[in-house]
Amino acid sequence: MASNKKYWTSPMELKDSSIVEKLSKVEFEKEIPTDEFLGDKEALESSSTTRRDFLKYVGFTTAAASLAACEGPVIKTIPFLNKPNDVVPGVADYYATTIADGFDFANILVKVREGRPIKIEPNKDASSNNGTNARVQASVLSLYDNHRLKSSTIGGKTSDYTSFDKEINIKLAQAKVSGQKIVFLTGTMASPSTDKLIAEFKVNYPTTEHVVYDAVSESAALDAMEAMYGTRALPNYDFSKADVIVSVDADFLGDWNGGGFEKGYAANKVPVHGKMSKHIQFESNMSLTGANADQRFALKPSELKFALISLYNEIVGGSLTSKVTLQDAAIKKAAFQLKKAGSKAIVVTGIQDENAQLLVLAINNALQSAVIDTTNTKNTRQGNDTKVAQLIADMKAGKVGALIMNQTNPLYTLGNTKGFTEGLQKVALKVAFATSPNETTKACNFVNATPHYLESWGDVSMQNGQYSLMQPTINKLFDTRQFQEAILSWNGNTTSYYNYLKNNSSSFLNGKSWNTALHNGTADVVTSTTVPTVNAIDITAVGSALNATTSSAIELSLYTKVGLGDGQQANNPWLQELPDPITRTSWDNYLLVSRADAEALELKNWTVDNGAMNGSLVDINVDGVSIHNVPVYIQPGQAKGSIALALGYGRKEGMQEEMMTGVNAFPLLNKTGNVSITKVSGEHKFACVQLQHTMMGRDEIVNETSLHDFINLKKDDYNPRPKFSLDHQPVTADEADLWTKFDDTIGTHFNLAIDLATCTGCAACVVACHAENNVPVVGKQEIRVSRDMHWLRIDRYYTSEMTKEKGTEEGIVGSGAYFNAQIHPEDQPEVSFQPVMCQHCAHAPCETVCPVAATSHGRQGQNHMAYNRCVGTRYCANNCPYRVRRFNWFQYAQNSEFNFNMNNDLGRMVLNPDVVVRSRGVMEKCSMCIQMTQTTILQAKKEGRAVKANEFETACTSACSTGAMSFGDVNNPEDKVAKSQDDNRTFRLLEFVGTKPNVQYQLKVRNS
Amino acid sequence: MSNKIIRAIYDDDDVLVAAVKKVRENGSHIEEVYTPFPVHGLDRAMGLKDTRLAITAFIYGVIGFSFATWMMNYMMIDDWAQNIGGKPSFSYGENVPAFVPILFEMTVFFAAHLMVITFYMRSKIWPFQTADNPDPRTTSHKFLMEVSVDGNADELTSLLKNTGAEEINIIDKH
Amino acid sequence: MSHYESPLRETLILGDKSYKDISDDIAAPIEGKANKLWWFVFGISLVAFLWGVGAIVYTIGTGIGVWGLNNKINWAWDITNFVWWVGIGHAGTLISAVLLLFRQKWRMGINRSAEAMTIFAVFQAGLFPLIHMGRIWNGYWVMPIPNQFGSLWTNFNSPLLWDVFAISTYLSVSVVFWWTGLLPDFAMIRDRATKPFQKKIYSLLSFGWSGKAKDWQRFEEVSLVLAGLATPLVLSVHTIVSFDFATSVIPGWHSTVYPPYFVAGAVFSGFAMVQTLLIIMRKVSNLEAYITRDHIENMNKVILVTGGIVATAYLSEFFVGWYSGSSYEDFTYLSIGAATGPYAWAFWALILCNSVFPQLLWIKKLRRSFTFSFIMAIIINIGMWFERFDIIVINLSRGHLPSTWTQFSPTSIDISIFFGTIGFFFVLFLLYARTFPVVAQAEVKSILKSTGSFARKKEAEAEGRSQDSLAKI
Repeated sequence: MASNKKYWTSPMELKDSSIVEKLSKVEFEKEIPTDEFLGDKEALESSSTTRRDFLKYVGFTTAAASLAACEGPVIKTIPFLNKPNDVVPGVADYYATTIADGFDFANILVKVREGRPIKIEPNKDASSNNGTNARVQASVLSLYDNHRLKSSTIGGKTSDYTSFDKEINIKLAQAKVSGQKIVFLTGTMASPSTDKLIAEFKVNYPTTEHVVYDAVSESAALDAMEAMYGTRALPNYDFSKADVIVSVDADFLGDWNGGGFEKGYAANKVPVHGKMSKHIQFESNMSLTGANADQRFALKPSELKFALISLYNEIVGGSLTSKVTLQDAAIKKAAFQLKKAGSKAIVVTGIQDENAQLLVLAINNALQSAVIDTTNTKNTRQGNDTKVAQLIADMKAGKVGALIMNQTNPLYTLGNTKGFTEGLQKVALKVAFATSPNETTKACNFVNATPHYLESWGDVSMQNGQYSLMQPTINKLFDTRQFQEAILSWNGNTTSYYNYLKNNSSSFLNGKSWNTALHNGTADVVTSTTVPTVNAIDITAVGSALNATTSSAIELSLYTKVGLGDGQQANNPWLQELPDPITRTSWDNYLLVSRADAEALELKNWTVDNGAMNGSLVDINVDGVSIHNVPVYIQPGQAKGSIALALGYGRKEGMQEEMMTGVNAFPLLNKTGNVSITKVSGEHKFACVQLQHTMMGRDEIVNETSLHDFINLKKDDYNPRPKFSLDHQPVTADEADLWTKFDDTIGTHFNLAIDLATCTGCAACVVACHAENNVPVVGKQEIRVSRDMHWLRIDRYYTSEMTKEKGTEEGIVGSGAYFNAQIHPEDQPEVSFQPVMCQHCAHAPCETVCPVAATSHGRQGQNHMAYNRCVGTRYCANNCPYRVRRFNWFQYAQNSEFNFNMNNDLGRMVLNPDVVVRSRGVMEKCSMCIQMTQTTILQAKKEGRAVKANEFETACTSACSTGAMSFGDVNNPEDKVAKSQDDNRTFRLLEFVGTKPNVQYQLKVRNS
Repeated sequence: MSNKIIRAIYDDDDVLVAAVKKVRENGSHIEEVYTPFPVHGLDRAMGLKDTRLAITAFIYGVIGFSFATWMMNYMMIDDWAQNIGGKPSFSYGENVPAFVPILFEMTVFFAAHLMVITFYMRSKIWPFQTADNPDPRTTSHKFLMEVSVDGNADELTSLLKNTGAEEINIIDKH
Repeated sequence: MSHYESPLRETLILGDKSYKDISDDIAAPIEGKANKLWWFVFGISLVAFLWGVGAIVYTIGTGIGVWGLNNKINWAWDITNFVWWVGIGHAGTLISAVLLLFRQKWRMGINRSAEAMTIFAVFQAGLFPLIHMGRIWNGYWVMPIPNQFGSLWTNFNSPLLWDVFAISTYLSVSVVFWWTGLLPDFAMIRDRATKPFQKKIYSLLSFGWSGKAKDWQRFEEVSLVLAGLATPLVLSVHTIVSFDFATSVIPGWHSTVYPPYFVAGAVFSGFAMVQTLLIIMRKVSNLEAYITRDHIENMNKVILVTGGIVATAYLSEFFVGWYSGSSYEDFTYLSIGAATGPYAWAFWALILCNSVFPQLLWIKKLRRSFTFSFIMAIIINIGMWFERFDIIVINLSRGHLPSTWTQFSPTSIDISIFFGTIGFFFVLFLLYARTFPVVAQAEVKSILKSTGSFARKKEAEAEGRSQDSLAKI
């Protein structure tokens, strides 16, 4: 073979056909004739295989074998054969849809990249309910929750839907025959089509009932409305119309009545022509609303009711018997102001007591308040406690044959869980619809995995006159089926829910096109505007009933936190890590106690040497039901004799271990009777990111002024700029500048403006930033040792019990005693919030100190951070007066030590492809969302136009419901920030340091 | 002329210096003197010229300074001027206050190292260089003088004896 | 020529030593066997060193998070140790350079070891800026070298980069200075060495030095010029280190008094460390004759002076902070806030160790006591460590915005690395003490006649006085 092999030697040979012919045979080697020489003996002997050839074979086979051995891992990628017309790689699509998870309701836009929803933004075109809170912002991560139900199960065994429905139909038939009740137990869905479906279901199953149950119920308010106006719905409020707001325990900037009031509230918080709203808050524990109030008075829950009666007497002139409270003077004053404001006044309450609600309705009625709207009522809470109680009774009595539950987790949330479980035993058919496993799915024999709302169709009517649509933004990740699809099949209806919805919607859209509605996500529809008649109610009875409330030494109130709400998103690391705006504590719920009570019970919070906070533990007992080892947080502003505990924590079922935080407070819900707390041994480790609560006399940090001063004084008196001495002349920072200035008047120059008057501290921006910039979750222990990675934090300060004036009186200014007193907040402090992110200083201290020039200034005014140039000396972070730089102490992505969303393939789908995931050992910080600003510029460039005024957005500004944050180009005089930079209220944080920040703050004006 | 040299060993530096003077008065040529430590006045006595190492050090320093200036001007101003913390990087002159420390360090660095290297080169001392002191004791406590013989061996020997030499031996120059 | 020197000057070399004796004494520890004590101390140091290496490897493998740092206090023990070691690394060059310029003969007994100490200390110092980097594998980016990303240079505005140049220049120049001085002594050992291997090694180390007249002339010139260069250098190094803080905007760091005050502090701690080592070494390697009570006393005097400067700086810092009336100065490392706050213990440790106890050195009796000097040296070393700890941690823990106030506590890794460097330092120094001529014998020989006690006696006889009467003066 090899011996007689012949090669081309020259093109000449082409002429010689014989050679050509010969070569054409041997040019390409015939397949190796192994059989030929291994097959039979003589062939082998006569074989022309030389030693060389043999070695070739050996070599080849060895090589082949070894090549086959070292095969790399195969990652399959499937390219689009024909490109979907709305998926352009690198370009985001936005879909208008609606979130309605029973607790949070909002019209939203979903940012979708390469078919993956990665960010939630408010649908600002919607007429109302167009704000997003922290939970709505974070809900996109719940879509990618690794612990979701991935398929439906019967008795724990995976099942396909045909057999699933077959069995259920049989069971339903049995129930029908036995005449037992078939009950739909759902959270508030506010979905007309779903209601219609259930109605249709009722046709073949007459014994059907639909019980709506809210974990955190507004039932009392609904009952009151029903009693007074005949409609079982929540009144709507437009706080922008209000000049005087008196809130008795209503956290209307939080989750009260489903939330969504902050925008209207903020509209009137900035003084225009010397006028702004006045907000007086009476409450027992420091709520977000109380923190924003102009005046805040702390009262025990029981006293709040008495206060309400007195308020009624003052305004309506009634003579209901009431008990004395500590704040009667304040109540008189409030009443006076309310009367003065007349129809521009409003009283709201969050007390879960029908009588209290009735009183408030009566007061508002008497005030002829224009703020309350009883016509276009809200449907965001529909739970009916009496019906739920009835259901439990029926279940115990064995009257219920089938219980179908959707969007609810009664076994976790129902106060008297025991009774419910008992009843549940007696129910033959238990069906649970849920996106992720929970206490209830565990107890049900039929579990239907439902898609996340970002994978579902649906319609929501959050309030009369608004009809919103829910559309899928991604194909179903798992083998799930939505509630409505199931009912359709049980009704024997073969149409898909999509078609059903489409047909059904026409009756609501009255004439409007389905496509436009779907495109806009919501449509305004005209509804009956007949003002409901006011039914007469026996106020004296109401008053005396309310007055009958017994007050006790310690009274407990339960509240929901900005982070977890009712706890259905408890498995969402973004929300767990979000520091509570008031306590600035994450990964926990805890018992809020006033300082006085804490001292009486010897409860303590203390700082350990690594700067973390520890606290005492207590057992709480409310007539019989007790919770053990509850950590104590001493909360300034907590009414003496009152304690508070947040709901939504302490879940265990279907939760990742890291997320099983806090204690479950639901068993205490609606418990009346004696509350007792007893200190127990041991200590709790908090993850609190701010342990210094006061400003230590550095009041210019969060500048504030009173409305009176704002009107009467000159700008330099209430908002002075720091002065430097140049040639013995006081000058401002820019005049004292030694350096030639870089020209920032050409092109865009970014500024971020934060109006402290309208910032409620709701923390939606924090989560938005988290989502937009792939900020890692670091977990409780790291947060505890102040290694939080949030690029944007919201500092919260209380007024101190020691002021400079007080100190001078006592003559202790500058002494240790003075400082130690300064450190303690007042018992009833004023609260100020201040969002702090990288200030993008023109004279950035961080830039000069970086040895490798990893951080330097951009032409658009940002302070850039080049991650892949950073060597991690951390000098920049030390030299930042604002402490906004964040260091990657460990590898936070794909590290089992940090087992959060960045550690599993599903969770990583939420990552924003425009932002790099930082590696271990590099510094990171706010970039003013440069990926967003560049997109805006490119967009304008593509369309061949200049960037429009106020077109620039960052994650935080777009998430801000109140418009407290605005972002733009100061070189464009039309931009909001360009106008605001010379506003009288504008100041720059720590301006005296001379860093020349590009972030403006507008000071807060208190109408006190 | 013969190629012999005389090695005289002394045990005291003062005696040595005196001897050196005598020998030179006698007009003989001192090839080399080996001492265990710097003997003050010896170089004068031997009539050695002053070393110019200090001058080279100065020149090297100037080089270092110039290099630093060029480097920082090139890197911070010419090649890629950045806005770092608002510091004026428009011209070297405006930015130079920040560069003073490194200007100084580079000057010292060049001056010190280049001077020492020059010293090593001129005196032929570097790793793997073999020593050429004829008697091991000269690095410890003895002082050795090499005088070239110009046919007057005996006369020299006696002369050296008188100067207080401990040992005297005549050997061929290799 | 006369070696006459006023008898009022202290005798620097005791006992009637001849040139030969000196050679023998200096070579003794090298030619002899190591004693038990040496092996014991060396063993401990080696263990500590290896432990530290382990901790460093773990840090680099896992992340800086294994230290106690956080997003508000981004430096703590790492830079504290860096500054502490650099400070210690000042005495050597100062002794050999500045005292040489001042013609202080007493330096000759100790400068060799002092310089060795300097160099080993700067090794330790240099370690920390390296390992404190989040991505040490990219550490070479601090060098002004072209790179594949095009025009991406270092930032010459950064004090950290100034450090890079200052420390490397200081270290390399110190090494060269030291080595040049060592050449004649290596040569001496080479020429008396009997073991062939030893001979080989030392002939290699001695660069073939043979003590020609011309070489000596150049040698002295070089020493003088190097001394002239090293003097401003040694001052510049800690000045630049102090710029790391002084040029920042952080309350307590942003302070114009830092450069002189840091240099004084450096000499203060450096001399303390020299004391610590010499007092041990004179016993361990029998150098009582060369490192005398007078040496110790002179060192103590320098300590007293520099300590005074440092104390003054503390006072001015404290006063200026208070006098400014700025609420941002209320919690700097020298303030009432610090004295009463969570770091009060560190504050008082600083005040007592650096400014109170050293005052005892005013008492001559204590100043001349070896034991007391040793204890005092240790106290001062501790105090100076706390000074740096306070400057870094207390100031960072109380920044501009109270919302960012927090605290720091070291992890076992922090501690391991620190003691690891101490171990490394002693490993190097002990090896040096066994293998290097620990006293600049050539120089000492040159002053034997003027300051040796034998010479003195002769002078005394000449003037009809007795040696003991001399001692009384």
